[in-house]
Amino acid sequence: MAKRLAVYICSGCSIGETVDTSKLEKVATKECKVPVCRVHPYLCGAEGVQIIRQDLAADSTVDAVVIAGCSPRVKTEAFAFDPALVVERVNLREHVAWCQKPGDEDTQMLAEDYLRMGIVRAQKTEPPELLTEPVSKKLLVVGGGITGLTAALEAAAAGYEAVLVEREAQLGGFVSTLKKRFPSSPPYAAPVTDGVAEKIQSVLYNPKIQVLTSAKILKTEGQPGMFDVTVQTPAGETTVRVGAIVLATGWKPYDASRLSHLGYGLSPNVITNVELEKMAAQGRILRPSDRKLVQDVLFIQCAGSRDNDALPYCSSVCCMATLKHVDYIHEANPDARVYIVYKDIRTPGQYEQFYRIAQDNPLVFLTKGEVARVDRALEGRLGVTVRNTLLGEDLILNVDLVVLATGMVPSSADGEAIRVLEDAQAKAVKSETESQRAEAARKAEELKHHSGTQILNLQYRQGPDLPVLRDGFPDSHFVCFPYETRRTGIYAAGAVRAPMDSTRAEDDALGAAMKAIQSVELASGGLAVHPRTGDAYFPSFFLQRCTQCKRCTEECPFGALDEDAKGTPKPNPYRCRRCGVCLGACPERIVSFKNYSVDMIASMIKAVEVPDETEEKPRVLVLMCENDAYPALDIAGLRRLGHDPSVRVIPVRCLGSVNIVWIADALSRGIDGVMLIGCKYGDEYQCHYIKGSELANRRLENVKETLQRLQLEPERLQTTQLAINEWDRLPMLFNQFLERIRDMGPNPYKGF
Amino acid sequence: MPTAILVRPDTDFIRTVLASGGGDLKKCFQCATCSTVCELSPEDGPFPRKQMIEAQWGLKDRLMKDPAIWLCHNCGRCTTYCPRGARPGDVLGALRREVIKGFAFPAFMGRMVSNPRMWPVVFLLPTLIFAAILLWAPKGPPTAELEFANAFPIPILEMLFFAVAGLVVAAFAVSIRRFVSAMRTPGSGGTTQGLLPALGLIATHERFAKCEGERSRYWGHFLTLWGFAGLAMVGTIVGIGTMFGVMRTPLPLLHPAKFFANLCGVVILTGLAMLFANRVGNPRNRGTSTYFDWFFLLTIGGVVITGVSSELLRLSQSSIMYPVYFVHLVLILALFLYVPYSKFAHLVYRTVAIAAVRAAESRVKSANVPMPESSGAG
Repeated sequence: MAKRLAVYICSGCSIGETVDTSKLEKVATKECKVPVCRVHPYLCGAEGVQIIRQDLAADSTVDAVVIAGCSPRVKTEAFAFDPALVVERVNLREHVAWCQKPGDEDTQMLAEDYLRMGIVRAQKTEPPELLTEPVSKKLLVVGGGITGLTAALEAAAAGYEAVLVEREAQLGGFVSTLKKRFPSSPPYAAPVTDGVAEKIQSVLYNPKIQVLTSAKILKTEGQPGMFDVTVQTPAGETTVRVGAIVLATGWKPYDASRLSHLGYGLSPNVITNVELEKMAAQGRILRPSDRKLVQDVLFIQCAGSRDNDALPYCSSVCCMATLKHVDYIHEANPDARVYIVYKDIRTPGQYEQFYRIAQDNPLVFLTKGEVARVDRALEGRLGVTVRNTLLGEDLILNVDLVVLATGMVPSSADGEAIRVLEDAQAKAVKSETESQRAEAARKAEELKHHSGTQILNLQYRQGPDLPVLRDGFPDSHFVCFPYETRRTGIYAAGAVRAPMDSTRAEDDALGAAMKAIQSVELASGGLAVHPRTGDAYFPSFFLQRCTQCKRCTEECPFGALDEDAKGTPKPNPYRCRRCGVCLGACPERIVSFKNYSVDMIASMIKAVEVPDETEEKPRVLVLMCENDAYPALDIAGLRRLGHDPSVRVIPVRCLGSVNIVWIADALSRGIDGVMLIGCKYGDEYQCHYIKGSELANRRLENVKETLQRLQLEPERLQTTQLAINEWDRLPMLFNQFLERIRDMGPNPYKGF
Repeated sequence: MPTAILVRPDTDFIRTVLASGGGDLKKCFQCATCSTVCELSPEDGPFPRKQMIEAQWGLKDRLMKDPAIWLCHNCGRCTTYCPRGARPGDVLGALRREVIKGFAFPAFMGRMVSNPRMWPVVFLLPTLIFAAILLWAPKGPPTAELEFANAFPIPILEMLFFAVAGLVVAAFAVSIRRFVSAMRTPGSGGTTQGLLPALGLIATHERFAKCEGERSRYWGHFLTLWGFAGLAMVGTIVGIGTMFGVMRTPLPLLHPAKFFANLCGVVILTGLAMLFANRVGNPRNRGTSTYFDWFFLLTIGGVVITGVSSELLRLSQSSIMYPVYFVHLVLILALFLYVPYSKFAHLVYRTVAIAAVRAAESRVKSANVPMPESSGAG
């Protein structure tokens, strides 16, 4: 614990005009007994920083510095000192000076409380112990398709060794099976034949890349910097140690057997786009039933895509593929009429040029429409009824071949099912009652077909594969952190991450390779990856008091915690993202960081001066997510939006890191209400730790029940979801909550 | 669910439209900007968005009987605003040509007149006729002053022109009858009740005036139409007058008929000059003018210019008047002989189409039944 503090109060940026800094100085020196305290009108300037440095040089016993001035989100470079020195920032500018009445008593009280809280925080912070295990900087690339090949080459080009693992005997993946690729560069006029041959050669001859083909990953153990991956190849089993993993396992076509309403299975003359591609690669396009030339071909776009009963998303490539397939058909029969029934033609970006050129073909007939039915007609032909067409009438088209343009399913999509399957298999053996075992066995049987689809076979407590988002993609946050999965050190790239074409997949491979390199470099210093990039602190578990409730191991969003046989958590600090969800989960409060702990926040809450009920000055504790909500309040300050001075804001790592004991502490101290403001959750979640805000909301519901038993109104607690761009809502949220608190009257526990 | 129709594109039709002015047809991606910016497009049954996709799909039968393509006066607003460069205005022009060609009777005439490679043949027939008249027709004694009748005896010309007029009217009647019955949908009445309002609209150029921007085109067309109507009227009167011996040509300059004819000559000459300038002066129009457009404009322009020149040469008693008059006669015959097959035919097709739409509209107003819309395709 830091013992000797130095406090510096900046009076610039209108702080000096808003609050009485000499009184603040007294709070530090008299009340908190801080040995060094100075006020400076321009602390972030060269002179101000020089003063701090001189003090530190003169007195080497100072082990923590508190800077009361602007937001901790700005001027980080000016106030960067020795990493071993604890630096605590108190936000007197954005949260006080820029949003409160100057010279007001309430404003002064707010500033003083913030200073007290900052001093306590500094006192409770200790310098980090560094993680110093040796790490491997080698990358494992899973999947030898265009994405994997590119990722391995990019890693090698950046000077990092890579191991490339491919399931098939040959490298190249799906792209190598294509007859032609659609054009990806100007003038986007005609399909191109350059496949992946050149890339395969570059990989095979690259001394930094080790290639394992016909390979299967038996298990992946460890953590970033020290993953041990056991791979089975025809030559036998081998274990490689790597620092990070790029998952580039691509996609599989949507299961067309579920498209019988579009005629699949009705006739051999109804095929998918992937089957057409295969036919073209092997020879000419002919009618499958009798190998005759096709005169009329109909493409059904979005077959099983953009459909809530099938794939709800757009795969972004099927339209381009179909326009390319028109070429194949005209190569076989230049007079063939090609009909394309679409929902929307989606040819993103410059691909529109390819659409324009394809459209100019007089034998291509396009219409928006919905295929109502496909029937067998005479002479092996098919009658396709199309509704809601642009021609204003329902059409029947008599064709030789129907091609279903099906979409892409990520190869990760089975991950969740495998986890359920494995759980069921375990329960089928271990469950207590006969009926439970039977039920589990039934479930295991139902999911049996997912067996063998494991990719990484992670030896993690939370299951063998990557958790996925609602559409089966293993992204952890599709807006803010591309490539990142919910397993630290494992980055997804290419069509497994999001539906995309081969050109975009190559870009994606580069991005993911760079993230993987970043990850091993941070791991080598024992530092956290995004979003607390460079954080050297990690959680420690006081295991003597652990009750094996498994909440932390279940709730960790990144699967960082394994378990021993009894259920005691086994931390893997290199997997940890420092969100503190385990700290929030633990009922025994045994999880703590040296710069973030239950005791620290509780002490900060206790540092708030609570006026007694006669003063009619309510106090509201606001626990705000440091990722979005706290910066939003900074923005509100920047825009000079005022809010009620009765709030006391404490930034937390994630609402998921809020331990409910803090709420109990606040209410028992006489604080009148508690607000939790964090990120949006649900399918469109914005939580940087995936489910933190959702967890907090659930935990708080339980607390509300407890409050009722204590004769306290549950309305004294509120959770709010706020996006960073909703900063203008914040003052209103504070003011409305305080209005409710004033209506309810003071907390009856005040003064106890 | 309404009954679905079996569709099979007519690829030859698509290729013809692409080759004859609708070359950008396939660029259309159905955003309907064209229908939105068009001043003439009605709210119920807007065009030309739907006509564009029908043409893309080669649904010839539907387009042939669709009056909407005749409601367009080709101001080019749709073409200007088309985000895809599909030039709907030009496509409609090409479609109109296909309708004229498609309903032509006899059909080979339609194909011949619209085919650029056939133009020598097209002019050869009238040239041979007048050469024959010049060489072999019995002529009266030469008059003191130079007169056209010395080379081209008036009774022969009258016989020829009335005979040609009769033939043309008969052939055109067949075409228009086919067109009208194609437009008619089961249960609907005729087009006749809409004919009068249609003629009123055309006489005033009320719809043409809605076409924004090109005022010179509006005035050019207006003057040409009325100048032509005047000349046609006075020509017929004088023709009948001479046939019955009431008049004798050449009429003196101050004769009311002659005066009126000369006035109409000036009016049509002005109008045609404006239309010509519009086509040549505007790069956009110049680029998209087809043989079909030029054939009509140059023939009627040639008729007027050679007519005026012949008159002036006759007044100055120059013997060059004979060859010029020969050309004049050839062009007149070409103009009239090919009325049902050239762009000239639009005069009647457009009138009938507007009449059909008007008739349908008035039925909608009185019976509140839906607008007849072209249906069925092949």
